[in-house]
This record gives sequence, C-alpha cells and structure tokens, in this order.
Amino acid sequence: MQLKKHNTMKRVKRLNTREAKKIGPALAAATCGVLGIASTPALAQGEPGTWDFDVANLYYAESDSRVTAVEPVFSATRYFSDDRQLNLKAVFDTLTGASPNGATPSDQVQTFTRTSGGQTYDVEANDAPLYDGFRDTRVALSASWLAPLNREWEYTASVYGSSEFDYTSIGTGGTIKRYLNNKNTALNTGLFVSFDTVNPPNGTPPPLAEMARIARNDSDDSKTIIDALFGVTQVINRQTIMQLNYSLSQSSGYLNDAYQLLSVIDLNPGLNYGGNFQVGGNNVYLYEARPDSRMKHSIYWQTKYALENGDVIDGSYRFMLDDWGINSHTFDFRYRWDLGGSYIEPHFRYYMQSKADFYQRYIGSDEYSAGNLTEATADYRLGDMDALTVGMKFGWKLKNNKEINTRIEYYLQRNTGDNGVGLLRAQDLYPDNRAIIFQVGYSF
Amino acid sequence: MTASKRGKTTALLMPPESNPSQHPLPELGGSEKLWVGRFQAMASDCDILMEGLDRSQAAHLLFIAASETWRIEYKFSRYREDNIMSEINHSHGKTIRVDDETAALLNFADQCFQLSDGLFDISSGVLRRIWHFDGSDAIPAERQIQAIMRHVGWQKLKWEAPMLTLNSGMELDFGGIGKEYAVDKTVLALRAESANYKPCAFVVNFGGDLACSGPRLNGKAWVIGVESNDHDSAAVATVSLSQGAVATSGDSRRYLMKDGVRYSHILNPLTGTSVFNAPHAISVAAPSCLQAGMYSTLAMLQGDQAEAFLQAQEVQYWIQR
Repeated sequence: MQLKKHNTMKRVKRLNTREAKKIGPALAAATCGVLGIASTPALAQGEPGTWDFDVANLYYAESDSRVTAVEPVFSATRYFSDDRQLNLKAVFDTLTGASPNGATPSDQVQTFTRTSGGQTYDVEANDAPLYDGFRDTRVALSASWLAPLNREWEYTASVYGSSEFDYTSIGTGGTIKRYLNNKNTALNTGLFVSFDTVNPPNGTPPPLAEMARIARNDSDDSKTIIDALFGVTQVINRQTIMQLNYSLSQSSGYLNDAYQLLSVIDLNPGLNYGGNFQVGGNNVYLYEARPDSRMKHSIYWQTKYALENGDVIDGSYRFMLDDWGINSHTFDFRYRWDLGGSYIEPHFRYYMQSKADFYQRYIGSDEYSAGNLTEATADYRLGDMDALTVGMKFGWKLKNNKEINTRIEYYLQRNTGDNGVGLLRAQDLYPDNRAIIFQVGYSF
Repeated sequence: MTASKRGKTTALLMPPESNPSQHPLPELGGSEKLWVGRFQAMASDCDILMEGLDRSQAAHLLFIAASETWRIEYKFSRYREDNIMSEINHSHGKTIRVDDETAALLNFADQCFQLSDGLFDISSGVLRRIWHFDGSDAIPAERQIQAIMRHVGWQKLKWEAPMLTLNSGMELDFGGIGKEYAVDKTVLALRAESANYKPCAFVVNFGGDLACSGPRLNGKAWVIGVESNDHDSAAVATVSLSQGAVATSGDSRRYLMKDGVRYSHILNPLTGTSVFNAPHAISVAAPSCLQAGMYSTLAMLQGDQAEAFLQAQEVQYWIQR
C-alpha cells in the first residue's frame, strides 16, 4: 500500500528514538472482541510486519529400548503486506537406540559386522537382532514463501535441506493455487523435486552382498524423488470444508536401506532345519536389494466440520498404491473439544498396509544357492502390517494469541507374515513395536 | 470521486426505520464497471465503491451499508436525547445495564485505555467544555483545567459488563472510535451479504477512514482520493489500498494560538491540556479501520514522539507536520 504525494503529506524517515510500547497484538485482540469476530483476514496473527513463532519438542520412545528420538522444532513465520508470508523452519533430531536390522532371531548367539568398518556386535540367542550402533543427529532447514499473484491466484515456493552423518537431502518445489467461486473452491497443483545422497562409512553395500565378505564401493549413492500434487478444496457450507488430493511420487536411484540385512535360513533336512545357513562355519546374511525405482499414487480425502458450539470434527482417509505391490489405507479422526480458553483434542489413527512384492522375512538356502534372487528385503516397514495411534492433545490459549500445547500418543504397530519353518518357528519373527510420543509446543 | 465523474445517479428509497436521523437518501451512480454509492453520516461523505455486481446487487449493498451506518450513528450519537449514550450520560451516578453492542464497545474502550496507559479515554470529551478551538488565544486557566479534570478518567467509573456506573458530572463519548467502528461493521455486513454473489470487491470510505474487501477484481490496489486536511489547497492525496484499512487523524484548522505557540485540538486526558507539537495529520494502515484509527489517534497524542511511536508499532503510516 502506498500513498502518493500530491501535497505536503509525506512518509517520515526513521528516527532513532527510544522504543515505544508495542500495542499491536492487544489492539488486534480488542478489535476482534468489539467486532464480534474470531479474526478478520490478516487480523491478529498474520498482521503485516509481525512474526509468529512456534517451538516444540517432540519425544519419541519405542519399547524394549529401541529407538528414542528427541526432536526440537523451531518455526517462524513473517507476515508481509498483501498476504505474503515467509516461513523458516529448523528441526533437530537426535536418535539413539537400536532398530531391527532385518535378520531373524535365532536360538544361537549371532554376530554381525557393523557397517562402519570391521567392528562386530553380538545378539543374544532368541533376541530380536537390532542394529545397536544407532546414534544420529539430523539437522533440517526449510524456507517457504507464499504470495498471491492476484485475487484468484496464489503461489508458494520452497527450498529444503537436511543433513545427518550418512545422509543429505536437498529439495525444492512450488505450488500454484487458483481460487474460484468467490474463494469457495481452490484448485491446487504442485511439484517438488528432491536429491538425496546416501553415504554410510565405507560406502553403500552392493545389493545382496554377503555381510561377511563385503567389498565396499567407497562411493556414495543417490536418489531423486519427484512429487506432483493435484488437489481441490471446497467449502461445502458454513460448517464444512472438504479437500481431495491426488499425488504422484516417483523415486529413482539408490532406494535401499544400507543397514538392512536378510538372514539365510537352512532348508536342508537335518538338525539345522530352519536355523541359520552357514558357509565356512559362519552364518550367511545378505544386504537387502530393492528395485531402483518406485512410483507411488495416493488419494487423500479430508473433511472438517465445525459444530455450532465451536468444536471441530476432522476426519481423513488416504489410499496409497505403488508399483512395489504395497497398498495402504490410513484413517485419521480428531475431535477438537473447545473449552473456551483451552481445548482437548482426542486423536485416533489406524494404518494398514500390504507387503511389497519382494518382501520376505528371510531367504531360504535353496534360493540363496540357486543364485537367481534379484530383489529382497526383510525391512518390517515394507511388510504386512497395521498400526494404531491413540492420543490426546491439550492446548491452552494465552493472552495475545499465544498458545501452549502438549500432545501424548501411544503407538502400536503389528507385523504379520510367514512364520518360518523348523527351528525358526520357535522365534518371534514379528515383534510388536510400541512407542510413546510426547510433545510440548509453544506458539507466540 | 467527484460528482461529475459519477455521472447519472439514482436515489435509493429507504424505509423510514432504516433512516432514523432522516438523512438525504443514498445515491447510486456509476456502471457495471464500478458502482459508486454515496450517503451522509457522522458529518462525513460516506462512499461505497463496488465492482463485480449488477445494478440491483449494488443497490442492495448500498442499502445494507447505509442502514448499518445510520443505525450505529443513531445509537451512539452524543447529540441525541433518546439513545443509549444519553441514558449513560444522564445516569447521575446510578448503575445502568447496557446492551451487548454497547458493552462490546465499552470493553474495547477499556482495553484501549489499558494498552495506551490512559492516553485513550472515552471520558475525556468534557474537556471540550473549556477548550474551544476557534483559532483565538483563549487558553483555559490552570484552575479551570483542574476543575474539569475531576470528571475525566476511565479509572474513576465502574464498568463490570454489562453494568456501568458513571459518576455524576462524567460523560462518555464514542466519537473517537465511532466512525472507524461503522466502517468495519459495514465491511463485515457487506462481506456477509455478498458471500453468495459472484466475486466482487468493494471499498467503504467514510470521509477518509476506509477499508476494503481486498484488492480489485483485476488484482490491483484500489486508488482512493482522500481529501487533504489542508483546506487552503485543492490538493488531494491518494491512497492505494489492496487489503485492510486506513484511518486518518488530523487537527485540520482547529487550534489556538497564544504567544506564538500553536495549541492543537488534540487533548491529553492525563493532563487536560493540548498535546504539544502534534502533527497536522497521521494516516495509518492496519488490518481493520478500528486498529488503524487507534494507531493514528494514539500517535497524535504522542506529539513530538508520534514518529517514534509508529516506528515501534511496525505499521505503515504517513505523517503531515
């Protein structure tokens, strides 16, 4: 906005005088009160020249001393005139603990070689094999810019970068939104590209390489991910808003997890039937091999319904299908119970997925000997599974649009599949994964 | 927007209950390209510029705007004897119950009093009994100021919504926020009324206090002529506005001059005296007209420090000294 000078009115230069009291947030709140509105567009939060900050710390702990994550998040949004805004975000992850390495449990002690050099670690008999050298810190930074082009068009542009000791990712993307029908309808399309580099110590293991006899290539490997999004958001009536998105994701390059192994199980009749297959007195473990491309399609539908009393019901469903043979359904339901100055939001989420075509809990010695295996993974994240999340979020609204919120959730994930043969049948091949998620956040 | 530019205009018939103060009828001019509605209220020309509408929709929105504005004017005018302000100002120390809208305005006034540390005070109108800004050198005596100050001070009255108790001799006056309030309420009413229309855009401009629905349909800013405070020149300033509101506070020709010192008509309710070195005019942009008006009013009261105050608020502003 500008005032053109036709007479003596003029914009005054900055003066170096003492800082006066800032009344903006209190005045905005008072204005909302007298006008009987929650906020006018650009009122209160979102006022040009102001910053909004969000800080949160997330704590994630899996049971059985598996992964623990502490994840502080800092987000700041700067509002400019004409509805333009800049968001900057930083996430710091610290992961410690152990995660399944893909091998099956055994009635014998198992010895694994760490990916980083020749060190080894032992897993007790009948214990789930976990890769215990798991300690990583990740820093992720992102920036996005949102601005209207005119009354009906709006765009965003974003860049992203993250780094951890064996993995870096950089990405960029943009979206364009078109408003129709007096802003009751919005069409949205976007494209994101990301380039990731995987660089474990000593390089990435070749696909299906034997753990014990690994000749590492010291080079790193990379992958490219392209995501395209098409969406429509429709205001149905004063209470209801609905959103439907289709997204397409194409990944190509090195898509393996460089730490995932598969056990080779002895299928020769005898005392060791169903035990670890051995060559030269050592168990045989192979590194996993996934295809070098993956195409995912997903459809997402969300409906938000605001009740007369201020409560909000939020339900969504996502269907995902990919050319690895995985399809998944996600049902998510939240109810925000407005208590005046605070709110309670119970949350329920159910996820189910079918396994990838090349997922197998272990490799049979016959397949291993035949040598014609090209793709295999025992990564539980690619197996048949379902997961349930139940949780509750509490928020306290403070003066001046500040908010404190806390979230506690319980996560239960169950995998199912082939229970093995012989000795292996005595082992729990699909232990449940349970986790507690706790987050405290502050917006100001 | 001058009359000659508006071309043929038609008067809008209004039911008498929508026009309690018996103003002249609103007039609608312009064309499908840009409708210009105009009516009188609060001692100002009130213009509604609208685009994206057919004639009957434009006429309907003008009717809504005039009805809402005249309702507010009638209800909160301090010159009437049959409204809530009269009831408040003639309560003689008795506790009275006020309606929801009045309570909301009193809450707003209370919050503005708090956040301005007493500089914005709707009980300060009685100072006008001793300060007559007629260009003369009639500065009130200190004794007169002390006497009148006994009746000034929001903290002296008792306000516990919806119950108000005003000491005898005190008076309240929404003059400092009434026009801005009417602009915002009109924008909200027009927005609600046009929600089911095809995309449209409008500006509500009450004598230079203005707010818009958003940018024009072509995505560009509205360019509005604002009458200069300087009546000696025919110069007109233009404001370009693509969202939110602009409000202006000014002292126009109203001042006193004694011993070479110019006393502005801006009165400080904490001291009962004229603010020294207040700018001639301050315009501020903000999301709503009430906010813009409060920033410009409080900046005026800072006198010398007006610029520093506005800098600290991080708002867009223009000052005429």
